[in-house]
Amino acid sequence: MNVEMHVEIVGVLLLGLGYLALLFGCGFAVERGWVPVRITRHPIVYTLALGVYASAWAIYGSVEMAAHAGFGFLAYYLGAAGAFLLAPVLLVPIQRITRTYQLTSLADLFAFRFRSRWAGTLVTIVSLLAVLPLLGIQVQTLGEAINIITASQAGGSVALLFCAVIAAFAVIFGARHSQSHGRHDTLLSAIAFESIVKLLAMLGLGVVALWMVFDGPGDLQLWLEGPGALLQQQTPKLDPAQWRTLLLLFFAAAFMMPHLFHISFSESLSRHTLLQASWALPLFLLLMALPVPLIWWAAQSVNPDIPIAAYAAYLMTEHWWVGALAFIGGLAAASGTMIMIALALSGMVLNHIVLVARPPEARSDLYGWLLWLRRGLVVAVIISGWVFYQWVGRHHGLIGLGLAAFVGMAQCLPGMLALLYWPGANRKGMIIGLIAGVGVWLWGLWLPLMFSLPVPTLPFTPLTDTGAPVWYNVTLLSLAVNILLLIVISLFTRISEGEQSAAEACSVDAVIRSKRFPLEAATASDFSTHLAHALGDEAASREVNRALQALNLTPQERRPYALRRLRDRIQANLSGLMGPSVARDIVDRYLPYRHDDTPETDDIHFVESRLEAYRSRLTGLARELDGLRRHHRQTLAYLPVGLCVLGDDDELLMWNQALSQLSGISGESVIGSRRDSLPAPWPGLLGGVLETTSTPLYKQAVTLHGKDYFLTLHKAILSGSDSRGGSVILIEDHTEMKWLEDELVHAARLASIGQLAAGVAHEIGNPITGISSLAQNLRYDTNDPALLETADQIQQLTQRVTKIVNSLVGFAHGGRQSVPLPASPVALASISEDALHLIHLARSGEDVTLTNETPDDVVVRGDAQRLTQVMVNLLSNARDACGKGGEVHMTAGRHEQLAWWRITDNGQGIDPRVREHLFEPFTTTKPAGEGTGLGLSLAYQIINEHQGKIDVASPPPGQPRGTAITLWLPLYQQDDQPTHAQDSDC
Amino acid sequence: MYVYRIMLFLVFGGYLLSPLLMNGWSDPEAAWYRPFAIWGGLIALTLWLEQKRKLDER
Repeated sequence: MNVEMHVEIVGVLLLGLGYLALLFGCGFAVERGWVPVRITRHPIVYTLALGVYASAWAIYGSVEMAAHAGFGFLAYYLGAAGAFLLAPVLLVPIQRITRTYQLTSLADLFAFRFRSRWAGTLVTIVSLLAVLPLLGIQVQTLGEAINIITASQAGGSVALLFCAVIAAFAVIFGARHSQSHGRHDTLLSAIAFESIVKLLAMLGLGVVALWMVFDGPGDLQLWLEGPGALLQQQTPKLDPAQWRTLLLLFFAAAFMMPHLFHISFSESLSRHTLLQASWALPLFLLLMALPVPLIWWAAQSVNPDIPIAAYAAYLMTEHWWVGALAFIGGLAAASGTMIMIALALSGMVLNHIVLVARPPEARSDLYGWLLWLRRGLVVAVIISGWVFYQWVGRHHGLIGLGLAAFVGMAQCLPGMLALLYWPGANRKGMIIGLIAGVGVWLWGLWLPLMFSLPVPTLPFTPLTDTGAPVWYNVTLLSLAVNILLLIVISLFTRISEGEQSAAEACSVDAVIRSKRFPLEAATASDFSTHLAHALGDEAASREVNRALQALNLTPQERRPYALRRLRDRIQANLSGLMGPSVARDIVDRYLPYRHDDTPETDDIHFVESRLEAYRSRLTGLARELDGLRRHHRQTLAYLPVGLCVLGDDDELLMWNQALSQLSGISGESVIGSRRDSLPAPWPGLLGGVLETTSTPLYKQAVTLHGKDYFLTLHKAILSGSDSRGGSVILIEDHTEMKWLEDELVHAARLASIGQLAAGVAHEIGNPITGISSLAQNLRYDTNDPALLETADQIQQLTQRVTKIVNSLVGFAHGGRQSVPLPASPVALASISEDALHLIHLARSGEDVTLTNETPDDVVVRGDAQRLTQVMVNLLSNARDACGKGGEVHMTAGRHEQLAWWRITDNGQGIDPRVREHLFEPFTTTKPAGEGTGLGLSLAYQIINEHQGKIDVASPPPGQPRGTAITLWLPLYQQDDQPTHAQDSDC
Repeated sequence: MYVYRIMLFLVFGGYLLSPLLMNGWSDPEAAWYRPFAIWGGLIALTLWLEQKRKLDER
């Protein structure tokens, strides 16, 4: 080794390590927050990170492909562009599933969909075998490029050094946490930076080719038409069928290769960002592809006999910096791919091979254990790439290695398409199809490559063109066998119930009917205790708290609905940590459902909440249907009658606003609860209506927030072929109606008593008249002054009794509107006196002083009996309003053509809220059963018939409290004629 | 959904017709950048469909 060469190796080392140091600097800058978040989280960063697809193949392999297949090299770019063009129907559904169920890899997705840990393990092994050649290509291009630059064989050793540095970067920035899910801003930004570097390098090489080697586009065209034409015509043309097969292989690779799946779906990116990549990534690939033919033509124009076409960029000029540019571009592409492959594969191997073989025991350092396992695997994957290069790669061209990888990965494509679009596919079909397809691939392509075996003669190859390349025959045969077995076995074997539900969850047009089962854990805090058996105390409590926080629940949560969501969330989080198979095993074992006699019912609330979450994604008819659903839901929610819906398992599904107001319990706090966990008196009340066969249940007496209510409950059973079961219960508040009914009964009873009193009074009248006649006779029959005195007294007393009896009869007959109103003169003093007599008959209010100061000369036009009735009612109210020692005054006077008649008390006054309705029927402030609420209404009606009016002042002017009611009545005039009362609507 | 149909049509139609792209390599008459121009047009179309989808989802 001479000095000059040694210096050149040092130069390459400095160049490579300098670039990798820059990459570390980029990582640290993002991590320390020196780069603004608006840049690191910009959608363009994500698109550039997806540019990891353009691996070392894009820098070197494409040039080699262009040399051997002309524009056939474009298949690598157009296949990926096609996959992203189909993002709305292909990538977005995968993103939905992976995000919902926290699936981080293709193996996770297969294990979840086909409900088989073997499916996950098998996909991991296939990925590992398929990616190994691709990983080898990255290292190989590094090593070979160094060999060319330095004209030495030191490439292998230097490449190992670079691999070590790249592995350190992957461990530091990609495997810092045990959780592989979630957005890694630092890593994405670093990969985006690498994409920019390789893009600039390729564009720079294109510029060199076009303007330094050629003299611009015109000169290139001249060369193509002149000396270059013969060379291009000698380039083999790719057969259309082979081209389409290549397109299919690269289409599958674009989203199924572990590193691309990881960036596309494991990083928590928005759907919008993914859709933006549907045009931005093809644009990036276009710019990457554009310089490829230019580089090849430029190199050809300089030297028509290039030994290894892949490294043409190093040979098109003699400028050292052009070689450096190509080397940096290649290093950026290779390092990015190696980092992402290592991170993605390490997660898959950990979750689907290591943890399946050795499930995690309850250990205090679970997270640390997982982290170190992951880091070890990251390093192992990168070093395996170097070993592959040393052992196998260096003996093969890039195209052969690359195609071996892409054909292997494409074996997962039938399973992936079935996962998305065919819910009928089952695990037996998928696994047998995959094993058969992989078997053909291993036998025909991979094993001959690895062990330099002779290429076997495949069956059915006579059906393809003679001379068709091996990769083409292997692809057709392996995919045909794979697809055929998948379809036939799926059609003729049963699909399990669990797999069916997972298939529906994954299917693009899934109709997911989530079922409700009760959990054995009664509260959220029980979860930690149960999970501690599997994860250890610390990890269990951390996972439960993380899930509780994500769902905004408390550890005291008891609602079955909330507990089921908590279980799902914990399973999804554990799936991100240790894969779906292990997560499902842990959750099924330690947080089991209770499969007792409880009927199995659909989880409608879950379906609704998911529809709400996906609302913005619905379009067309689905959106209209959702609008209709929301309308019907609102109709029920805003129904002015209380409504609740219970499932067959007694879980509360709906609790509308009216019921929330009536009960004082918000719907959010109880929906998802079981009926028996509702606050009293609801469990008994709802249970009563559910158990009874005769509905409605009328006027059930309950106490709600300290007040008495009477509720009427109606029930309907939801049944029928389309029904999901359950009962709907309507709850009407009949408290006011019940009270009015009671008052009416009371009033009717009072009226009966009044009639009875009138009858009694009438009966008393006859003997009283007899007594009076006898007293009169006694006066005629004697001259004894003592007897005469006695007879006078008897007559006075009988007159008094007669007067009282007449007042009582008159009062009892009052209020009949059909009786015409007489226009006779009525002295207010006399009415006042009569009313006082009647009031004194009542036992209550004996400690209230009633004073009558009504002057004798105030005479009004009207009906004495009815006016007595008014005055009795007003006096009765006034006396009831006064406490002990209260005073009630009656007085009257004249004002122009009217008489005023006032009752003033010093009682408690009238509540302003009642005053507006004072004269409406059934308005009372007295306790139920003591007042009818009809007295003032009747008084208003009678005064109205007398063409008078009533004024109310509470408190009266000049008094601190009490009430003054003033009646205004027309004064009696000599020429008044009798009038007839008119019925009033008041 | 209509947008998706257009995309599906484009992708599968393009898949079947795409071998025509390779013809330009050995044809001196054809501009060397023709496949890239067609590809650029396809990207512009996708961008337009993506904008349309955004409006549709509003």
